[in-house]
Amino acid sequence: MMDKKLLEKLCTAGGISGDEGEVRDIILEEISPYADKVKTDNMGNIIAFKKGRNKPGKKLMISAHMDEVGFIVTDILSDGMLKFSCVGGINDSAVFAKQVFVGKDKLPGVVCCKPVHVLKADEKGKCPSPDSLAIDIGAESREQALEYVRPGDSIIFDSIYENKDGRIISKAIDDRFGCLVMIEMLRSELPYDMYFTFCVQEEVGLRGSSAAAYTVDPDSAIVIESTTAADVPGSENEKRVCLVGGGAVVSFMDRATIYDREYYQLAMDIAKEKGIPAQTKTMIAGGNDAGAIHKSRSGVRTIAVSVPCRYLHANASLIKTSDAQAVSDLVKELAKRICEQ
Amino acid sequence: MKTRKLLKKLCAEYAVSGRENEMSGIITELTEKYAYEIKELPTGTIIAEVGNKKAKRHIMLDAHIDRIGLVVTYINEEGFLKAEPVGGMDLRALAGTVVTVMGRENVTGVICTLPPHLIDKEAGFTRDMIWIDTGLSPERVNELVSVGDTAIVKSFFRELIGDKAAVSALDNRAGCAVIIRCAELVSKKLTDTRLSLVFSSQEETNESGAKTAAFLLEPDEAIVVDVGFAKQSGVPAHLSGKLGAGPIISIAPSLSRKMTDGLIASAKELGISFDYEVDGSTTGTNADGISITRGGIPCAVISVPEKNMHTQTETVSLDDIENTAKVIAGYITGGAEK
Repeated sequence: MMDKKLLEKLCTAGGISGDEGEVRDIILEEISPYADKVKTDNMGNIIAFKKGRNKPGKKLMISAHMDEVGFIVTDILSDGMLKFSCVGGINDSAVFAKQVFVGKDKLPGVVCCKPVHVLKADEKGKCPSPDSLAIDIGAESREQALEYVRPGDSIIFDSIYENKDGRIISKAIDDRFGCLVMIEMLRSELPYDMYFTFCVQEEVGLRGSSAAAYTVDPDSAIVIESTTAADVPGSENEKRVCLVGGGAVVSFMDRATIYDREYYQLAMDIAKEKGIPAQTKTMIAGGNDAGAIHKSRSGVRTIAVSVPCRYLHANASLIKTSDAQAVSDLVKELAKRICEQ
Repeated sequence: MKTRKLLKKLCAEYAVSGRENEMSGIITELTEKYAYEIKELPTGTIIAEVGNKKAKRHIMLDAHIDRIGLVVTYINEEGFLKAEPVGGMDLRALAGTVVTVMGRENVTGVICTLPPHLIDKEAGFTRDMIWIDTGLSPERVNELVSVGDTAIVKSFFRELIGDKAAVSALDNRAGCAVIIRCAELVSKKLTDTRLSLVFSSQEETNESGAKTAAFLLEPDEAIVVDVGFAKQSGVPAHLSGKLGAGPIISIAPSLSRKMTDGLIASAKELGISFDYEVDGSTTGTNADGISITRGGIPCAVISVPEKNMHTQTETVSLDDIENTAKVIAGYITGGAEK
């Protein structure tokens, strides 16, 4: 069973790309008693090694990323408003009229918007580009704002965390859920020696994992992720990509990677054999750290197992705990089988 | 009660238009110290009577209590809830937003949004796209939610720098806070005045609660307290007042010049700064209906400046609420120029 308290702690922590420190500290504290070797590399990735009962036939690296999408303060205007840039891919609608926290001290702020009453007919329902928006922290002037914030400060969503009735609604499930699965594996007794990488900067170009894969130099890799489920009204059939409640998502291909064919088949076979709900994606969409890992050094045989997630990259993503359990079960078994080879 | 605490309590309540009865408990709690009578009308409007019941002078002090929201209109076979706006929801602020559905129990949901590869940016977000995802099984959804249940956009009461508050429902719980604070300020000085605090229903849908209450009460004059536009990018200057710089006093053909002048005189006497909002016809507030009730009731409008109106990031200044209450109190107890 999942450690619900820890998932909440991980999801509510702030950690936009390049500023993963708060999340990293939580993870280091959680895994240090269990891992045989832990180090934080130059980029801020955590690389952990844990001995298993046996020496593996393949050197396996399991990977998830610590960073989340968010915003960064780019400028402070004379009226005290903060201009910002998106960090990672965020829909315009996920930015508009949101409550946020700014900086290390999590100062409350709001993304301002011209009221609906004064919109022209052709502006209604259309979210303006984030470039044209600003965040209000209540400051009346640039000087006053500078007492609290400065350009470069990180901004995260101020949102809910709810884990109830078999589903979780939170920010940053992508990819704190993956981090949780790895922490739980590190806490458990492993069948084989394994490496775990908690990576930085996935959302800004799969950057941390590129360095981590170089350092670990694995034969094989499993990436644990959250992937877009579009199974909502207005989207039918293949456009739904994958289904919340449909089990662990094993991809054969996305925009960044053609996954190892044998591992894909192995994962699907294990799911069938063990009765673990699993599905694949019905569109070639998205991408994750596998994109950097599979082409590291002379190449790494790579597979990704993801939890289907609605409203990815927003203040409130939604997953089912049954899918989360399926991902956790499938990754553990798949890791064992890959090491056996 | 301190303005901050008062406002926080009021904003925590639901009461989407048509469900104002959800607030009768809190209004009783907040006004019973000053009121000799509290009544709830069939329209959902709640009235707290303050001052001298037999006085000749009778003032109605109105603030609408309802908030904008959503109403569930259909539940599909997958358990998604189709919803429609109640009042002037800003459709731009809905996609991906967290809501609370007031069903048999409160249920948290997210308004469905499509991923980038399926979004038609040009088309924007339209009413037919409002679907709520609770993440629950269709069976569980049907146990908890029924067609006709209302929902609100979820947000947190957050304090910004300089005693400002940001949360949804400040329109018009800020106004409700003003009239309660005003009652606190004047309750012991109303020997010759009957003051009816009217927490009116359904302003956001058709302004009916205040108009019907005015018919019932037949006051000599009515002061309407609402939120007004704070100065911000994109809002015309003549329609807005600076946030934190005091109330906005409305001037419009539909309003009483004499009462408006009285409010201005009160502000000046108290040394409280204010802004004007000048409209060319009516005001878009409850005053439009009250002023033509029965044989006509003189009205004035005074507002708390608010940014980001009708979104979950509505923002007001606590000082503005306090100062608005003081200006009205000054008008009432000063007797104004009759």
